[in-house]
Formats: sequence, C-alpha cells, structure tokens
Amino acid sequence: MSATGHRNAGAIVGIGATDFSRCSGRSELTLAVEASLAAIADAGLSVRDIDGIVKCDMDFVAHNDLAHALGLPGLSYWGETGTGGGAPCGMVGQAIGAVLSGQASNVLVFRSLNGRTGARYGQGDGQGAEQGGNGTYNEFFVPFGLSTPGQMWSLMARRHMIEFGTTQEQLGAIAVACRRRANVNPSAQMHGREMTLDDYLASPPITAPLRLFDYCVETDGACAIVVTSTERARDLPQPLCVVRAVAQGVQCGMQPGVAFPTLMRDSITTMPSAVVARRLYERAGLGPEDIDVAQFYDCFTITALVQLEDYGFCEKGEGGPFAASGAIELDGSLPINTAGGHLSEGYIHGLNHIVEGVRQVRHVSTSQVAGAEVCLVTSGLPIASSAMILTRGTR
Amino acid sequence: MTGAQFPLPVIDDIDTGGHWQAVLRREIAIRVCAGCGEVLHMPTAYCHACGGWNTKWQVVAPRGILYSWTTVYRQIHPAFPAPYTVVLVELTDLPAARLVGHLPGEPDLVAGLEMTATFMDIGDMRVPVWRPAGWPPDAERGQAGQP
Repeated sequence: MSATGHRNAGAIVGIGATDFSRCSGRSELTLAVEASLAAIADAGLSVRDIDGIVKCDMDFVAHNDLAHALGLPGLSYWGETGTGGGAPCGMVGQAIGAVLSGQASNVLVFRSLNGRTGARYGQGDGQGAEQGGNGTYNEFFVPFGLSTPGQMWSLMARRHMIEFGTTQEQLGAIAVACRRRANVNPSAQMHGREMTLDDYLASPPITAPLRLFDYCVETDGACAIVVTSTERARDLPQPLCVVRAVAQGVQCGMQPGVAFPTLMRDSITTMPSAVVARRLYERAGLGPEDIDVAQFYDCFTITALVQLEDYGFCEKGEGGPFAASGAIELDGSLPINTAGGHLSEGYIHGLNHIVEGVRQVRHVSTSQVAGAEVCLVTSGLPIASSAMILTRGTR
Repeated sequence: MTGAQFPLPVIDDIDTGGHWQAVLRREIAIRVCAGCGEVLHMPTAYCHACGGWNTKWQVVAPRGILYSWTTVYRQIHPAFPAPYTVVLVELTDLPAARLVGHLPGEPDLVAGLEMTATFMDIGDMRVPVWRPAGWPPDAERGQAGQP
C-alpha cells in the first residue's frame, strides 16, 4: 500500500466530551466512560459495535479499564501511541490502520485526565532528591532549575525573539484570538471571560518571556471520538467527516528523553511539525492554501506560533507578524482554534482539537467558519508530532 | 542553595555518567564519537552518524556563549527560589553541544554573551556554575551562589 493508501479511507463518525473544569470530582476512568458513551451515541452506534481502542501513552486509563467499564463485549484490537500531546492525530492514524487492515471495525480513541486536580503537568519533573538516569536525561536540566514545560518553551520563545524579532504583542495576538473563540463556546473554561491585548500584557510573567496568558489552562476532563471506514461512515447519521490524510514525524537530530533534550537540537525554533507538514500535505495532495480552518496544538502561545511557520502559512520567522495581522481571527485567512484551544477552552492534550475539527467540517462549531470544507488538526510538539486533514465528505 | 532539597544529578548512569565524573574533576566533558567526531549530546554509546561504538569523553574549555534564557518568576521547585534565570549555553569548543545553567535573580542578558563555568560543591556532589564572563565571584556580589 502506498503512503497515500489511507487517503479518504477513514472517517470520524462520533465525537464526545465531558465538561471541562478545574475540579471534575470524578475519576479519570469515569470521565473516559462519559466521553466515550457520548461519542458512541453521537455516531449512532452502541457499545457492542466498538471493537477497538487506541489510547495515549500518558493516559492513566488502560484499554482494558475502559473496555470493562463500558461493557465492551468484543474488544479485538487495542493500541497506544505517544509521546503525550504529540499522540492524538497519530492515534487516529493507528485506528485507521486497524480498520483498513481488518483488525477492527469501529475504534474508540480517547484522552482522559484530571489535569488540574490530579497530575498537573505544569508542576513538571524533579521532586526527587536525585535527578536523571535511565534515559530521562533530567540530570542535565533539573539541577539547574529547569523542570517544567513552560520553562522549556520560554527558552524556545526567547530564541524565536532573538532570531526573528518576535514580540510579546505577537504572542498575545494568539492568546487573544483563542480567548475570543472560547468566549462564545459554552463548554470552554474561559467562556464569557473576555481578555484584551492590554489584559494579556498586564498579566504576570511566569517564565519570561512567557506570561500567565501564554500558558494553557490545566483542565479536568475527557474527549473521545469514534473512527471507522469512510464506506461504513456513509451509513451513519452524522455529516461525513473524512480523514483526508494523517502523518506522524520526527526531525533530524530528534533527541531522546521526554522533552528537555529537544533544547539540544540544531534549531529550537523549527519543530517536528515542519516534517509532519511536508509529509501530510504530500499524502493529502493538498497544501496550506487549501486549508479553511486550523486547530493548532497550543500548550503555549509560542507553540502555535511556530506551527504557523512550520505548516507553511507564512515564511520561517514570520509567525509573529502573521499572528498579529488578524489572519488567525474568525474573519481572517486562517481562523485557528475555533473552540478556544488549550489556551482558553481546556487542556485535553490535543483530543479537544480533533473534536473541534470535526465540528467545523460538520458546520456545528460555536465559531463556525462559513462553508468550511478542509480543517487542519495538529498534535503536540516538540518531541515528535502528528497532524491530519479533515474534510467534509459527500455521501 | 537550600541544602537537602537540592535535586542532585545522578552521576553513575551508564550513558551519561562520564559527564558528571568529569565535573567531579572540575572539568566539562562532552561525549563524542572517537571515529567520526560526531557530538553525541545527549550522550549515547552508539554513534548514529557513522555507526561506530567507539566513543570518548572530550574535555572542553568551560566557555560558551548565551544561546537563550528564561527568567522564572513562579517558583515550582523548593530548591530554587524565584526569581532566577535559566540559561542555555552553546559551548565554544563544541558549538553543537549546549548546557543548561542557573543564574540567581533577573540579570540583564543579551544573546551571544560570553559565559564561563566554575564549579560548586553540594555535599559530596559538584555542579557547574555558569556565569557571564567578567562577573565578579558570587560571594563578592552578595548572591547566594546558587548553581
């Protein structure tokens, strides 16, 4: 099968989510069950139809936990991919692979985390008396006070400013755009909580140059989707959301470990997203000019900014001016993160970006891009990344 | 430095320990391929460039230039009172390798600034201390001298 053998062959037929909050009051397993039941019902299926599960490597809910809790009678395929937030689009790719190879018919893809009341990723590594070893490489970072993702991304943001003159206001344009989309999304943590660029600039520095509103909102919640073949999707009730293509990728000199070693790459301003982008566009037979709306993984503003460049919407180094030009607003050439993204809807580790991408091609988003036919969805960086292109299909 | 809480580096990892053994000798050493010279940082036993297994720990001058930095205002780790500044230093002798350092406070910095390393003992352990070249010793600046 060629690299384009999966083009248009898989579809997302169901989407589901819990509420997004700072305190769910439920276990991660309960959240996963709620989101999964919602996705299965949305697809017009029953739990008896689900025979595959794909999870994220960092999810505490194992496939058998979820299968048992849902009462799946016929689980015949399960898989797991990572790393962390880089996984979600790759998880969809894995699900499509299972469907096309006959190992499963309807695959549940989920992410569940009590990201605020449980393990808070913002607290980082390094609570132990000794750091590093066993392939973590933390010994080169934590003893110097570098222990959180935000600190790492701040080093990347500063370097982007050094190399390209990127400004705080340009980062702020991304935070403000995401906030505006969240303001009209009743499910978003920042629903109704308006923020101007002045509000952004007045927010406290956390890890300069990044400020409070450059950071995403740690969230308790879960999302789930159902993946099946496009052929089968034609018989299901929802508007057809076809996966045009999916791709995963790493970059040369990728570096080992979880995240901090990526600071040792030749460049810390170009990400694996650039590799994923080339592969994805080739597999899709499309280019950036074909994208109507995009859901960019945005654990931080700078994360989204580098992807504007890596996915070819502007030249390298022009992400800041592009973001500040209005292009990423709802009436711009490339509306982004139309549910509010991680920055303002909630941090469900990239799965909520997929759910919103499906809403856009179904034409049911709370910030609907008129006539959207093609949506780019990306997953996390900087370790290894993935992305996909969703299109509105015809029956 | 806040003593017992300090997150000391593991120094006997089979892949990375050579770096810390050098630090104990007051040297900065980076793992490189003995065959082709590829810089293997983060340290690995196998050279992905030439396929060789023969590597060495190359001692380099404790000098570099400032590649990037972040000033941390929100304290996370109890051993590192905020504000402090994390620096990323590109080594002069091996520009393909960078090391991380810690500066107290929120100093004015500029990319490309020359940096030098000294060493500080923490109990039986020792860590490099990166500072802008020409800074007076920490004791004379009245700083706590955190690594």
